[in-house]
Amino acid sequence: MTIEGGSATDELVLVRKIEKFLIREVDLLDDRQFDDWINLFTEDGYYWAPASIDQRTPDAEVSLFFDDVPMMKTRFARLRHPRVHSQIPPSRTSHMLSNVCVSKKHGSELCSAEARFQMLEFRLGYDQRTFGGKYEYDLVLGPDDRIRIAVKKATILNCDDIHLPIAVPF
Amino acid sequence: MSNYCADHIASLVQPDRVHRDVYEDPKLFNLEMDRIFGRSWVYVGHASQVPNPGDFFATRIGLQPVVMTRHSDGEIYVVYNRCAHRGVKVVNEECGNAGRFMCMYHGWTYDTNGDLDFVTQEEGYPNHKFEKARDGMGRVAQWGAHNGFVFANLSSSGPSLQDWLGENSGFLDDVAISAPDGRVEVSGGVHRYLFHGNWKMQVENLIDMYHPAYSHESSSAKSGQQFSRREGDKGGIQFFEKRGKVRSMDGLGTHALPHGHTWQGGLPPLENTSESHREYVALLEKKHGPDRTREILTKKRHNVIFYPNMAMQELNPHIRVIRPVAVNRTEIFIYPVKLCGAPDTMFRDQLVNLNRTHSPTSLVQTDDVEAFARAQEGMLASGNKWILLARDGPKETLPSGRIKTTGTSEEGMRNHYRAWLNYMCSGSPT
Repeated sequence: MTIEGGSATDELVLVRKIEKFLIREVDLLDDRQFDDWINLFTEDGYYWAPASIDQRTPDAEVSLFFDDVPMMKTRFARLRHPRVHSQIPPSRTSHMLSNVCVSKKHGSELCSAEARFQMLEFRLGYDQRTFGGKYEYDLVLGPDDRIRIAVKKATILNCDDIHLPIAVPF
Repeated sequence: MSNYCADHIASLVQPDRVHRDVYEDPKLFNLEMDRIFGRSWVYVGHASQVPNPGDFFATRIGLQPVVMTRHSDGEIYVVYNRCAHRGVKVVNEECGNAGRFMCMYHGWTYDTNGDLDFVTQEEGYPNHKFEKARDGMGRVAQWGAHNGFVFANLSSSGPSLQDWLGENSGFLDDVAISAPDGRVEVSGGVHRYLFHGNWKMQVENLIDMYHPAYSHESSSAKSGQQFSRREGDKGGIQFFEKRGKVRSMDGLGTHALPHGHTWQGGLPPLENTSESHREYVALLEKKHGPDRTREILTKKRHNVIFYPNMAMQELNPHIRVIRPVAVNRTEIFIYPVKLCGAPDTMFRDQLVNLNRTHSPTSLVQTDDVEAFARAQEGMLASGNKWILLARDGPKETLPSGRIKTTGTSEEGMRNHYRAWLNYMCSGSPT
């Protein structure tokens, strides 16, 4: 945790605030509150899960996920469709995050955060899967105390594995 | 191996149906690896993946590990990925650059054309005279390329590459000409996914225009259209007519070619308003003029199958490699195809759309692989041991031998099984 030019109390308050926000963010995925999850993102925000461990940009190579807000809406509208065959029955997930690090310049409304995570995923008929790795966030701290996500990047350890279908973001 | 005689294998394929054993029997799967993947031309990779001397790309032909290399003589070689000594797989990375390949076990080294380079402590072989080629990694029997698309054949008999490609080579030419620079390259990473089903299910699905409205209904909006597949496209594929009625894809056409190759007619063109598309069209027009450009932009085919292991699509161009693993397990690798000279933003949009349609998190393929896994399970019900491929329509046979019929006909699958029988039952492929 580093806040340039801030006091120790500022640091503690901010870190706790960001942690609570990140816990809520992954909880929304596990609770399948996908519309609320989308609403955490800024209008031009995006969610990115690289397909190779050292992938620098989603613009020059394919990615596991690279969703802007309109794409998130299309993705989750499909998951609500009564005949989304590959999700009947649906996947259950359980996200955990830890090792949260926050860095912010004093006075700036922008803040970045990193965390380690694990996601368990189970769909009846298939083996339970474990995905895990690193989250990197670019966050915007609003004047009304509202935090929004400009970028969420989730790099899973086995991003270049040969995967069975994946429905819920890491 | 198995003791299945040709008559038994032939009895599994009837004119309008196939026996479930062709999807479920591990012995037949092993025979397929031997008789189809072991003696057909098989897609290996693209020359642009090994542009410089020493570059290599490791893959498989059937279950056999091979390496495509660019040797110091500038030529491409396809060699078995196997040390001549104790059979250890030599190259353990998917791609890279090497002066020589060294076996990890006892340090033997090989040139990038597969020839034996050096045997450690050679004095310990007083009774064995080493020969570069015989004691090398071993080259596959044949390989060749068309527009940089490299195919190999583990058998030295059968048709030449050009004869085997037939009219499909015209498709590879069409893909190249649609690039402003007249050539394509494979770059942009790879999507990899897996399904618990037989490899042929994926091959059949690629020319199945009967299934989309049912399997992929969840990817269509209230308008009956799928989400747009390209940036700037006005809408997507129309699955349903206005009143919820399924729109028939018969008009697209199915084309069945010799050797099991099959393609679908092109999807109806959509107006595209993106800036990068306009720029792309302008580049083509500058080179070819407006009439030829219109012709180039009118896609004649959708999925094109190079039987048995590869398919390509011109809309959001990509190569799909079908990698059998076991009778009920298959890997799919999707390689974006970059149109050289086209705007970078267009390639970016192409990648973004491949994430949506052809990745493990796709909104489309995931329902296909669900169907494959459920078919693999459903076929175990022994009340009916046959898979019906009887869907038909008016057809004509063109002078080239290509059969043209309706878009939702199962003629394409029957065509695969004609090739399948030929490989599986005859002494040598014709």
